[in-house]
Parts: sequence; structure tokens; C-alpha cells
Amino acid sequence: MNEQHFFLRPTVLAVIAALMPVPSIAAGDIDALRETVESLQQQLEQVQKQLKEQEEAAASKQDVQQLQQEVAEASEWRDPNTLIHMAGYADVGYVEPEGEDGSFAVGSFSPIFHFQYRDLVMLESELEITQNDTETDVALEYLTLDYFFNDYVTVLAGKFLSPVGQFRQNLHPSWINKLPSAPPGFGHDGAAPVSELGIQLRGGFPLGSIRTNYALYVGNGPELKAEAEGAAGETEFEYELDGIDAEAFSSDGDGEKVFGGRIGIIPVPGLEIGLSGATGKATITELEAVSIDAGFLGGTAEDAEGGIGSEPDRDYDVYGADFALQWRNLDTRGEYVKSKVDDESGSVVAEGAEWESWYLQAAYKLRPTRWEGVVRYAEFDSPHDSADQDQWAIGVNYLFSNNFIGKLSYELNDGQQGSTSDDNRFFGQLAYGF
Amino acid sequence: MQSTHKAILKSLAAAGSLSLIIALLPKTGLAADYPAPGDFARGSKAWAENCGRCHNLRGANDLRDDQWITTVFHMRVRAGLTGQEMRDILTFLQSSNNRPIPANIVRTSAGSVADSGLSGQAIYNQTCIACHGADGKGALPGVPDFTDEGGRLTKPDAHLLRNMANGFQSPGSPMAMPAKGGNPALSEGDLRNVLKYLREAFGT
Repeated sequence: MNEQHFFLRPTVLAVIAALMPVPSIAAGDIDALRETVESLQQQLEQVQKQLKEQEEAAASKQDVQQLQQEVAEASEWRDPNTLIHMAGYADVGYVEPEGEDGSFAVGSFSPIFHFQYRDLVMLESELEITQNDTETDVALEYLTLDYFFNDYVTVLAGKFLSPVGQFRQNLHPSWINKLPSAPPGFGHDGAAPVSELGIQLRGGFPLGSIRTNYALYVGNGPELKAEAEGAAGETEFEYELDGIDAEAFSSDGDGEKVFGGRIGIIPVPGLEIGLSGATGKATITELEAVSIDAGFLGGTAEDAEGGIGSEPDRDYDVYGADFALQWRNLDTRGEYVKSKVDDESGSVVAEGAEWESWYLQAAYKLRPTRWEGVVRYAEFDSPHDSADQDQWAIGVNYLFSNNFIGKLSYELNDGQQGSTSDDNRFFGQLAYGF
Repeated sequence: MQSTHKAILKSLAAAGSLSLIIALLPKTGLAADYPAPGDFARGSKAWAENCGRCHNLRGANDLRDDQWITTVFHMRVRAGLTGQEMRDILTFLQSSNNRPIPANIVRTSAGSVADSGLSGQAIYNQTCIACHGADGKGALPGVPDFTDEGGRLTKPDAHLLRNMANGFQSPGSPMAMPAKGGNPALSEGDLRNVLKYLREAFGT
């Protein structure tokens, strides 16, 4: 039985193998297959090559991130030694005095140029470009070289805004001033000095938890002008002080310097209290005789007996106090300033004079809207009744943005009957700070 | 008599001025490393407390970083800031000088989830308090009142976290909150901690 099985199994296998169909592969088919494989190989190599080229050309996510980082940290424009920058403000508007036709007006274009070299020095200059009818006037509002001496002292040299009070030095730009007009007495020929030419130290320092800021200066000081009224043909006039030209003069007629400054104390955030003043000498340098009937008669120094050359100097003092208080949407501030020149018996105008002005202002932002309401009360007293003025000003502002503001205001003015200071006025203004 | 009082006043003013000059001029502290780094948290506080005293606050996005340098130097002179206050404000403004990401491409993650180890209150006091106030009612005009019953904190966490991470401008507000309050170092975990603190401290 076992022997039978021994021979049977190979025999069956051999029969099966003989009966199985043997694949008949022709030589032509093998060649075609080879060509196909070679073609596929070539295509694969091409794809691999393209992929490699693409990989080399394309930026990976990591590359993009690295590039973003490099761009973010690029320092050639962030940290140059010299920086040049232009800021400033401009305003246009509409004014309608009581009883007169209103007119559109260009207010001013005031570019401010900054040229800074590291944290060592900066040139600051503001121009004031205004239009008077068809004439364009350009004035140098200020020009200083600021030397950053240390963290607490900056030395300014040149023409600077008077640090007496807060309006002239910080609030007069139209995009900052919440009303279209300056308070009476804080413009030109007012009670507050406008600018000075000299040297100033400015800065701030902490006193415990209290912050302070200060400004101290010495400058050429103001000049005085006297005016006389008389009939046409008169040759002798009785002069009286007309005003203080408290703007920076590039000459010092009396050779006497004026010293002044301001100290500001911030006891708590949102409240600043300032005290300021100036003292020195001032001299009459301009005489103007005006005819009641015929206008200007003369304005030379020789109109005064002995000539202007012998005009003595006299004491000149300014006192100021100001505050600013912000609480939530409410912004209040006020300021008082008094300028005074003493009697001088040897002068063509023996009697001294005082100019005094103050104002209180409150503004409230109606959040979440962009509207803001403003009210201001101001008084101005001078030696001339025609210039004296009490004023209520109310206004509504729309903040298109924080530096582009539309203003509408109405001034209720109370002055000498018949004078322009008694006329009410309506204002519209668009102001832009840039 | 009046002239005597005047003379005394002038002498006092002169003595005070001289003392100030003597005290301040020798101070060293000139930043030799320009522009020297400031402190973000102190800067946000100094910015909020000083800049609005005279004018409407300008947003960090109003100017380029290099323009902010000359601007804050100008304001240092104008506002009587110390050099350090100026550098702090510059750091705050430059760090905050990023635009909110448009809503359709916002990231859902603020980056690392791991927090810095600071509590939500600590981060709030460092980064947020200058604008939002210690009481959460908003220290600046236009900043939302967190204690308002129907106010900002009624929004879901995801919504608030997205605004915190990417920056947000409240309707009617003249300026936008910068991404992460202007502090890019904050992680998602930090933001979650701050939000938790906001809800605990100011939520109703």
C-alpha cells in the first residue's frame, strides 16, 4: 500500500504539470513592455526633477515665517540716526459776525517740521500760513533747537511759544482748541504773552507719587507801543499805552532781558495745576498817532518829545495760573493771566497799564456717539474800553476722528457799545491735525 | 511796600529756579542706547494719563513706528515728560502699532496655550488697566464699561477671546484696542486668565 502511494503521487503531479497551459510570450510583447517601462521611468524622472525644482523655488511655511520675522525686525527705517517728520494742523471755516454777511475763510495751514538726530537734538519749527483777502502771509510760529541734556532737562534755543499759561503753548492748534476762536486776551495783543526769543529749560521730574513739569526761560522780552488819537492836522499828541507786543523780537531795544517760566503739578492723574510768570523790563518802541477823522497820521519815534531813543525802560510783569481736569467724558480747564507795565515818569507815557484775562471751559463727549458739547466763559480787561470783552461761547463738535473735527459755535459778546468786541459771531470750522 | 513784596517774590522765584537747575542739570540718564527700550505697562499708563490732558488721544495706528519716535520726542518737550516716561510711551505705542485682523481670517488660537504664570489680575494691571481702569468702567472716553449689565461681558468667551487676541474697535470709539492689548508676549492661556479675571471682578 505504501509503495503504491510512493509512485502514484509523482505520477499525478507529472500528468498535471503536462496538462497545465504553458504561457506563450512572444519576443515582440517583451520589447513593447520594455519600452513602456522605460517611458514610465523617464516620466517619473521628469516629475521628480520638476518637483525638485519646485521645492527649490517655492518658499516653505518656515521660510515665510522667517521672512515675516525679518521684515518685522527690519531696522533700517526704524532706527536711523536721523529722522525727518512733518506734523501740523490746518483749518478752514465760515464766520458770520452779527449784522454782517457771513463768509467762508481759510483759517491757517501750520506745518511743523521735525529733524531729529538720535536722542541728542531735534529741530522743531512751525510755520503759520494764512490768507488775508488775496494775500498769503507766512509767519514763523516757532523755531527751536532742542538739546536733550538728560532725562529731566531739555534745553531749547530759538523762538519758542511762551510757557506762561497753557493756551499759547499747548492748546492753540485748531485741532486741539475745542472752539474755533481763542479766548479773548489769549490771542495776539492780548494779556497773555505769545512767544519769546531766547533760551529755555524744560522738562519734568517726579516728586514721590506727584508728577511735575517745568519751563524756565530768559529772552529778549516784549516791546510796548503807544497810540494817540487826535484831529487831522494836530502835531502834538497825548499818548497812552496801546498794547504789549509780547511776541518774540529778534532785537532787544532796551537791552534788558525778561525771565519767566511755569511750574505744573499733577497731584493725581487727570488734574494739572500750573503757576507761571515773567518779569523784566519793557520799553516803548512804537508810537502811532491816529486821527479820529482821517486815520493814521504818523508813527515815527520822532513824534515823541526827545525821540524814542531817550525812552526809558519800565518794569514789566506777568502772572498766570491755570488748571486742567479730566474726568471720564468731561474735560474742564481754566486760565488766568495778567500782564502789567509800571508807571514811568520819564516816558512819553507816564502812566502804566494792565491787561487781564481769564476763562473757564468745559467740554463733554457724548459717548458712544462722536458728538461733543463745549461751553466757555471769558473776560478780557485792558486799558482800552473798546477792546474789553465778556464772552460766552457755546459749541458743538463732531469728531470724524480724533484729529479731524467739525465745529459749530456761537459767541455771545458783550463789549463797548458800537465796537466789534460787542458783536456776536457764528463760526463753523473744520480742523485737521496731522 | 508793594515794591518790597515784589522784590521778595522775585527773589523767591529766582532762588527756586536756580535750585531747580542745580538739582536737575547734573542728573545723568541720557539714553545712550537709542532708541532705548521702555516699559510697556508703564508706557500705557503714562500715555493714558498725559496725552489726553491737552488733546484727543491718537491711536497707535495713526503713525508709523519711526514717526512715533519724533512725535514722542516732540511731546516730551511740549508736555514736560521725563526721558523715561517718553521711552515708556514710545514702547507702548510701537508695540500696539498693529492693525486688528479682519474677521474672516482671524486666528482661532492666540498662539501658545501655556500661560506665563501671571494671574489674570496681574496681567490686567500691567496691560489693560491704563485704558479699562481699575474698576473696569473704562478710564478713557469710548472704552466700554465691563460692569454694565448688558455690556461687553455678556458676550461668549470665544467672541471675547477673539477680540482680545486680534484687537477690536468698539462702535463709537475713536480708537481700536490693539491685538492682545498691545502686548504681543501674551499667550492664549494668559488671555483666558485675563478673561476669567474680568468675569470674576466685573461681571454681574
